[in-house]
Amino acid sequence: MSSNLVITAVYLVLMFAAGLFFSKNIKNTSDYFLAARSAPWFWIMGSVWATNIGFLHGYLAHGGAAYEWGLIQANFEWFQGPFGYIMAGIFFIAFYWRAGIFTVPQFLERRYGPGISSIYSFAWLILFLVTIAAELYLGGMFLKNILGLPFWPTVFVLTAVVGTYTLMGGLGAAIMMEFVQFVIMMLGTMPLLFILLNMVGGFAGIKDVLLTQWGVSAQYFTVLPDIHHPYGPAPWIILGQCFVTTLGWCAGHQSMVQRNLGARSIYDSKLGYVAAAVPKTLGAFLYIVPMIAAPIVFSRLGIFVEKSDAAYGKLILNLLPQGMLGLFIAGLLSAGLSSISSVLNSSSTMVIKDFYERFLVKGKSDRHYFLAGRVATFGIIAASLLLVPVVLKVYLIMWLEQVLLAMVLGPFMGVLILAIFWKRANTAGSLAGFLTGGAFAVFLQQIIGIQIFFQIGFGSFAVTLAVTIVVSLLTKPPGREKVDGLTWDSDFMAKVGDVVAERAEANGTPVHVIPRPRAVRPVWYLNIKYWATAVLLVQIVLLFFFG
Amino acid sequence: MRKSPPAGALAAVLMLVSAAAAQEKFIDVRQAMADDLTAVKAAAARSEWDAAAGSFEKGRSLWLNEVKPMIVSGAKGDPQFSEYFDRIGDVEADLDRVVLSLKNRDAGGAESAVNAVIWGISHHPRGFDVPAARYTVWDWVFGLGIGVGFCVFAVLFGLHLRRSYYRRYKKQAGPGE
Repeated sequence: MSSNLVITAVYLVLMFAAGLFFSKNIKNTSDYFLAARSAPWFWIMGSVWATNIGFLHGYLAHGGAAYEWGLIQANFEWFQGPFGYIMAGIFFIAFYWRAGIFTVPQFLERRYGPGISSIYSFAWLILFLVTIAAELYLGGMFLKNILGLPFWPTVFVLTAVVGTYTLMGGLGAAIMMEFVQFVIMMLGTMPLLFILLNMVGGFAGIKDVLLTQWGVSAQYFTVLPDIHHPYGPAPWIILGQCFVTTLGWCAGHQSMVQRNLGARSIYDSKLGYVAAAVPKTLGAFLYIVPMIAAPIVFSRLGIFVEKSDAAYGKLILNLLPQGMLGLFIAGLLSAGLSSISSVLNSSSTMVIKDFYERFLVKGKSDRHYFLAGRVATFGIIAASLLLVPVVLKVYLIMWLEQVLLAMVLGPFMGVLILAIFWKRANTAGSLAGFLTGGAFAVFLQQIIGIQIFFQIGFGSFAVTLAVTIVVSLLTKPPGREKVDGLTWDSDFMAKVGDVVAERAEANGTPVHVIPRPRAVRPVWYLNIKYWATAVLLVQIVLLFFFG
Repeated sequence: MRKSPPAGALAAVLMLVSAAAAQEKFIDVRQAMADDLTAVKAAAARSEWDAAAGSFEKGRSLWLNEVKPMIVSGAKGDPQFSEYFDRIGDVEADLDRVVLSLKNRDAGGAESAVNAVIWGISHHPRGFDVPAARYTVWDWVFGLGIGVGFCVFAVLFGLHLRRSYYRRYKKQAGPGE
């Protein structure tokens, strides 16, 4: 046990030191919030994935949900996640680049005005607080189970480490550390799959025990399940999750978008996002497939599992040898800390850019806002710590988070789609649509009692679309300043290239995409189309075998 | 009156914390019972039958005095307890099997019975019990409609993007061309 503790402690100290090291290069808000727009595509790829995959979206909570519901949980990794990455990377990110923004609410503000932008920011801040609290809770429970450490002191130490390196280093530190963490996670957590499959006789062995010997429902092995499945039937996964919540998450989650805006060029940004679909797909082999085998191992070895969220920790504690367990813990801590760090950095960005700078203290120096960003980071992590006792009570953390996401992202996708593709959408319409959609989501969940978050997401999306269209048509059309350069037109992609090239030329930044496609083409293995096609083909193969 | 909102918030937090504490206690007592039963396996494997019997008594005492009463009372108001309530009979039968194995000094039998008890007080996946697939014709029409519709949309939209993109570059040739 001591060797695992030493590896974990060394890892935490290194993370702490890295934050201090990277803080030397931070001089202004662009450095702090957008890493001076300098990250190459492979950093973006690693960072996007490490941001996405943490204790919550990945090993512990999604792994726990896979234990609870079976292979259906892999629909995030094999279906909707890669689809969302590719669609957001190719289409939505270009709009944000063209607008030259720091945050997604800034885009909404330019298109619709400050009202909806503030409401959206506020909703995300609440979500971020819950997310950080959930990550801290899962991390504390994990280390308690694995290393026998006391829960609360462990949570405080995690808070201090991640708070320090994010607070000191900003997005640059976060992206670089996330890339390192991405490598550690992949190498550190993959052995579990092989150990498990060897133990239970491969995937066929798992099916044999569960289906034949235990009489488990065949739907435990289905990615896109029957329409009567209580978790979420396939059509709702496609409609509600794929096109609404996951796409909204990829296009509207500040942490994900911010990593892309920190890229050195729009090409790096897009390729990084599309390429991140590869590790996203592999993720199912790290924490979904092992959890399908977990019940067999638990029953055979007599391992106690108190709740689904703890199942992954119990599995590795009882299966991995000492040295490997230490590396594994470092890998998992990487996942958790990178996710907390990214959400922390993003929420402080939103607090400063969307509230503090806009409403409270205007016209101050860049250094003032940069320091305020650090204070905000501290305040947010302190507030999240206070929420940990609340999330401690939740039965399945992933479910709570997805329901909350559906309530925000359904309305968001409604107004975002119309913002980009319908020039007639205006401020009054979007505000009415967003609020009605949000209220409808709460109504569906609280009054009707719908628990399937795909349905909540799609329902609120549809209502938002309808209300926004009707109210926009009944009120005055938006002015040109709210439409030009912010909506889709036939020349849009070309204009993005022009704007980005102009900006890069002015900054002296190297640009990998030149707006004249025949002048400079990327080498074939960096071609976004090839990456996207390859990922989509893999999805089809996986769905063919497991759908 | 002015103090009532903070007092209400405090009461709400205290209620949440106490509910979380009850949840933690239910986890802790089952974990302690599982630890005692794991000690039974270890002692039986070493043929230390007195130690095994001692650990088993501790585990069974936890079952009778802490775990089972919590399950029975919890099942009345909280559906999360129902799975454990449904398995009370199985757990008690497996505990009897442990007694028998210890009496017969059968380490293999004791291990198997202990594992069954621990699995019985563990949380089982809910996905084990979902209803069997039963697609209707309408389900297929609906599903295929979405799938085919999206593919058609994606192809048409992609072609539109491609056309608009190259139309632009044909209009304005850059310096590199």
